[in-house]
Amino acid sequence: MFRHNALRYAVLVLLASAALFQAFTAEYFGLEILTEILILAMLVLALDIVAGFGGMVSLCHGALMGVGAYAYALLSTTAGIAPPVAMAGAVALTGAIAWAIGAICSRSHGIYFIMATLAFGQMAYSYVFEAPIFGGDDGLGGIARLDLSFIGIDLNDSRSFALFCLAVLGAIYGASVLILRSGLGRSLTGVMHNEQRMRALGLTVWRVKADVFGLSGMIAGLAGVLAAQHIMYISPGLLSWTVSGEALVVVILGGLGTLVGPLVGAAAFVVLKHELSAVTTYWHLVVGVLLIAVVMSRANGIFGWIEARWGARIERRLTDATRKPEAKEVLGDA
Amino acid sequence: MLETRNLDKSFGAVHVTRNVSLKLERGERRVILGPNGAGKTTLFNQLVGELTPDSGSVHLAGEDVTALPVAKRARRGLSRSYQKNTLFDGLTVEENLGLAAAVHTGNATQLWSDSLAKPEVREIVDEVAEQVNLMPYIHAKVSEISYGVRRQLEVGVALATRPLVLLMDEPTSGVGPEMSKGFHDLLNNLPRDLTMLIIEHDMDLAFDVADTITVLNYGEVVFDGLPEAARGSKLLKDIYLGSWEDA
Repeated sequence: MFRHNALRYAVLVLLASAALFQAFTAEYFGLEILTEILILAMLVLALDIVAGFGGMVSLCHGALMGVGAYAYALLSTTAGIAPPVAMAGAVALTGAIAWAIGAICSRSHGIYFIMATLAFGQMAYSYVFEAPIFGGDDGLGGIARLDLSFIGIDLNDSRSFALFCLAVLGAIYGASVLILRSGLGRSLTGVMHNEQRMRALGLTVWRVKADVFGLSGMIAGLAGVLAAQHIMYISPGLLSWTVSGEALVVVILGGLGTLVGPLVGAAAFVVLKHELSAVTTYWHLVVGVLLIAVVMSRANGIFGWIEARWGARIERRLTDATRKPEAKEVLGDA
Repeated sequence: MLETRNLDKSFGAVHVTRNVSLKLERGERRVILGPNGAGKTTLFNQLVGELTPDSGSVHLAGEDVTALPVAKRARRGLSRSYQKNTLFDGLTVEENLGLAAAVHTGNATQLWSDSLAKPEVREIVDEVAEQVNLMPYIHAKVSEISYGVRRQLEVGVALATRPLVLLMDEPTSGVGPEMSKGFHDLLNNLPRDLTMLIIEHDMDLAFDVADTITVLNYGEVVFDGLPEAARGSKLLKDIYLGSWEDA
């Protein structure tokens, strides 16, 4: 069952502080990297919900992100719908498509589930690539960012946009926690641990999987909308299975089924990518070696390793720290 | 409460259930006996919908449920425990019971509230934990409790759906004599209006708990009657009981 502990709260506070520091102090390039991390973090949170807490390893989340991006681009530019409505429409549409994919794929398991989601993702990629309405290989440009000028925020400014993405990520994290702590989320965890028993207890298993897949799709769609607004241009590459694969790598690198881990993974992956690609064009090899090391260590990613190595100690210290004032009070009374 | 009519099932040339007709009244406790391979678990699987019979029907509280899938039969009040522990291993005893209670109370698919914190779910969890003596282990993970306690939890999870009919597949399978004795009390202390169908190899438990006994052999009902009659049946001794009476 999903639960927060002191270490997880501490890491969350640390990550949020680092992101805020970067958002307020970095120059243009640093802000772009931060925004890239934040949008990737949204996608990997969406993936962690289904893969880490439902055992549904999806290779179509990149495509779902692309659906959100293209839906927003078409609604806001071609259809001329106001960006807030276009955003809501894109997220809802992505959620509906994800629900349908979840409903169909939830009847398969393991490698077959992965292949089925991959097939859906590639179908979406091929369609977007070929259909003229999506701009084919050229993609779509001129995508507008959300207009928050009525409250004095200019999202065309990189710093404001990065802070906006950070706020959205915070809201998504909160929503993810609520989903996993809800009856639906608890049942999903039950299904991951023992699907046969949950069915024997009277649960309509496919419906639970589809519902959570739909909610996860909405988060991926929102990540896509923000990706489209960030670059202001989208191309079919956004729907490629490699985006899904990369997201899966980040989730595993960070710590599958922890929610906090994928955030750590997203930050580590993007920073590594930018730092290493400045040194060598073979940066993928280094990430590959790191991923193999993480998987072979059986530590459940970077965060899992931290939790296994220092979790109990940090937990004890943090608990002691919160208890100290009470002890002082007692001594004072005596 | 639970009835099968001419239930029949084959796997290729192997005829595993032969024209089985049973009728359990409300509150009846029936034990199914039979040697290994007699088709007891296969019969259970057909009752709960995990297997589809070739012919015949299953009726629950007067309704034909033969065509219903597993989950729908469970929601109508048919609950089972398994011969091999089928629990949520990474979760606590409390969470195991809570998941079952959440399904029963309709909280399992709620998005806006924590099913395990709902008062109606907590009430069932506490009640069942008392019934099956799990209170001392309520916060322990399944991996931290002994095999015998897991068997109790296996029954507890099935009970937490507040079933009309409880099917138990060898509840004492693999537990020692001391714990097996505890199971007698546990089963005897369950609500008297709960209908129970139990597959059991432990003869003491079978005759202690059963109102009626059914014996299967090669998928066929060869005895159906009171425990007293079963004790004296030569047919039963020949096919199953062996020297039990002499022991």
